[in-house]
Amino acid sequence: MDHFPTNWGRPRNDAADPYGTYPIHQRPATKDTFAEGVQRTQQPIVTGTSVLAIQYKDGIMMAADNLASYGSLARFKDIQRLHKVGTSTVIGASGDMSDFQAIQTLLDEVVTDEFTHGDGHDLGPAEVHEYLSRVMYSRRSKINPLWNSILVGGFRDGKRFLAYVDLLGTTYSAPSIATGYGAYIAIPLLRAAVDGRVDELTEENARALLHDCMRVLFYRDARSLDKYQIATVNASGVHISDQIHLDTSWSFAEGIRGYGAQTQ
Amino acid sequence: MPDGSFAHPQQRQFNPYTDNGGTILAIAGADFTVIAGDTRQSEGYSIQTRYAPKVFRLTDRAVLAVNGFAADGNMFVKKVKQRLEWYRHAHAKDMPLHAIARLIQTMLYAQRFFPYYVYNILGGIEEDGSGAVYSFDPVGSYEREACRAAGAAQSLVQPFLDNQIYFKNQKAAAGQSHPAHLPLSDVLAIVIDSFTSATERHIEVGDGLEIYVVVAKGRSPQGLETMRNVQELSTRPDGDRMFILRRELKKD
Amino acid sequence: MNSFLTRYSSTSPEADIRKAKELFDEDGDVSDVMWGSASGFGNLASGVPMFKLPSVPDPTSFLRMHTDDHADPSCRIKIKHGTTTLAFRFQGGVIVAVDSRATAGSYVASGTVKKVIEINPYLLGTMAGGAADCQYWETYLGIQCRLHELRNRERISVAAASKYLSNLVYSYKGMGLSMGTMICGWDKTVRIPEMNRDCTEAIRANCRLQGPAIFYVDSDGSRLKGDLFSVGSGSTFAYGVLDQGYRWDLTDAEAQELGRRSIYAAGHRDAFSGNTVNLYHVKQDGWQFIGNYDVSKLHYEGPGDVPGAPGTGYGYDLRVAGRTSSDAPQSEGQA
Repeated sequence: MDHFPTNWGRPRNDAADPYGTYPIHQRPATKDTFAEGVQRTQQPIVTGTSVLAIQYKDGIMMAADNLASYGSLARFKDIQRLHKVGTSTVIGASGDMSDFQAIQTLLDEVVTDEFTHGDGHDLGPAEVHEYLSRVMYSRRSKINPLWNSILVGGFRDGKRFLAYVDLLGTTYSAPSIATGYGAYIAIPLLRAAVDGRVDELTEENARALLHDCMRVLFYRDARSLDKYQIATVNASGVHISDQIHLDTSWSFAEGIRGYGAQTQ
Repeated sequence: MPDGSFAHPQQRQFNPYTDNGGTILAIAGADFTVIAGDTRQSEGYSIQTRYAPKVFRLTDRAVLAVNGFAADGNMFVKKVKQRLEWYRHAHAKDMPLHAIARLIQTMLYAQRFFPYYVYNILGGIEEDGSGAVYSFDPVGSYEREACRAAGAAQSLVQPFLDNQIYFKNQKAAAGQSHPAHLPLSDVLAIVIDSFTSATERHIEVGDGLEIYVVVAKGRSPQGLETMRNVQELSTRPDGDRMFILRRELKKD
Repeated sequence: MNSFLTRYSSTSPEADIRKAKELFDEDGDVSDVMWGSASGFGNLASGVPMFKLPSVPDPTSFLRMHTDDHADPSCRIKIKHGTTTLAFRFQGGVIVAVDSRATAGSYVASGTVKKVIEINPYLLGTMAGGAADCQYWETYLGIQCRLHELRNRERISVAAASKYLSNLVYSYKGMGLSMGTMICGWDKTVRIPEMNRDCTEAIRANCRLQGPAIFYVDSDGSRLKGDLFSVGSGSTFAYGVLDQGYRWDLTDAEAQELGRRSIYAAGHRDAFSGNTVNLYHVKQDGWQFIGNYDVSKLHYEGPGDVPGAPGTGYGYDLRVAGRTSSDAPQSEGQA
């Protein structure tokens, strides 16, 4: 027995590192031949970037561009990252697109099952979010995560709903939420416009706000696209827009050394 | 690579934990207990939301505060509530506080080899009517105490509580002694000061403050009802009374 | 027919529950016993509880990566550790003395920990190592000891109780448990006149197992019978005082003072030990709590008016004796 307290509670791994002298990231990894037999998502492959969403006067609005990247390659430029679930919910996903497709399949199945019961109940946004968070948390607990950050938005019984869930099962809700780079670039703009003013924000305001944020993101996020869609959920149901094109102006770049094409 | 940076191929391993910041705190009085937590949830330098509760009502006389990894915390609270409901169905009464504490120990220890990254503080009224605080480590070691702070700012808040609640490093005036228990108004002032100060000095603390107060059956809430932003959660007027007190904290 | 239908239907409530279980099944620990009067503790009373392991190739190094504050001080999950404990056997029974500090990394997580776990009125366990490991498994041991009593109509011996614990932790060897504990108690005593004068060696051996007993059990699987043990980072300091003051024929007062003084020494010199001393005395009719003493107070003022107390502080008076280095007493050899 080692009597020094900071040495306690450490699983023994004497063969690999008898004195625990290496910092953890340099420790020789123990090799397990059988581990190779199982493949799990250990990193995302084909990915989507930010999703933005806000609450506004009549409901919620969500935006995501149409790009699925393969590393730095803009691989698929016509991908829809917003998905309608049931009659009053929409989800938007960033992260691994294959995992997102699995989630869509899963949710569609649940909605169908719920419909076939024919008991007059169907899933609202709160239920969809709870369900998703339980799936995501249980997958992370199996160390086999679904590599996504997902926003769930909806409008039911006169109430807005907007919440987040990610690959760790972390959840929260707020008047404005963004995933990926949006959390750094768009959130300050969204919070300035939305926080405390949700009931004044009209549909036009909200649409214009998201449009501006998508443009700012397109200027700075190298994995984004100038083509996006907006989902609106309000009393009249779920509506996912056609693709919207961002008009951009790059003339300012000429004046910034190191930004635009270099002339010298 | 010549600099040897690829000499050890690094395996990117999925890390199932993260830290969502925030701080929780509980203080037991003679016949009441105060359990508080801020409402900020953060990851790294980003504030995810300004309102994510960390303190939860379990029964009429028990409140649980959780801090650490939010997903683990929420799931843990859900499971504790489920077990308490089962207990109600089996015994037609609420589980007593000391039993909830032991339940939490076994539930945490069940995850000994894949721990919940959660620091728990349980507060409430014991069967003998005394205020009680139980604090836990992530794998279930626990202890009944008079006060405890946990989370991001525990190292800022706990020394302050040691000084103000336990009167550590304080000498009583000549001919006098330190009181064994403080009145509710003093305790509330200490709690609010702890959080405003922690908000100033810790980036992960702020936005909002939720303070639960449980007062033993038949004891006076000592003017708490008349304070601003107070909501009574008691289910029966003749039982223990529970209040929630909300305050704003700085949002920067 | 109905059960057949519900079993294979994909739209029944049963099917929904089945699907949900497949999807969310982290709950291996939910069993029917949780509904009953044991209300969840039933799983403790029926055999060794099962623990969930993370599904990674090497669960041990997973746990090490996330809870090892030694190699990586920034690791998130900091488990509480306990520190100096001692126990010794003498003619008047067993003295058990411990400090009360728990540390998580370099943070003093608590100064009021109960490191003596009261397993039952005749058995004490001490706590050094992981606080949760000791608390949980010694509580578990208490349950098993009570079951032994109910099954066999007599108290469990200290030897058997400690072996229970030792076998249990050995089955988890290498998984990361950390306990260094002393199981102390008083075994049922058979009065000598009842025994045959020319009894066999086996009976004599059994006779030696009666009366006060201490077993040291740790998470490596060691189990040692002995008269005197100290466990924890402050054990070396405690041993120093303990060894020089120990005799079998110590009086009760002397023995209690020795236990107190030894833990004080560890609390004074070891950074991971301190705050207060808890003192227990095990006699024929069970254990007795003697008292709680503040280490700083012991240093300056001593334990107060208790049996065996020196009447002065353990450290301060001794060291300065009213003087400092600036007005040191002139020794005889010097001018």
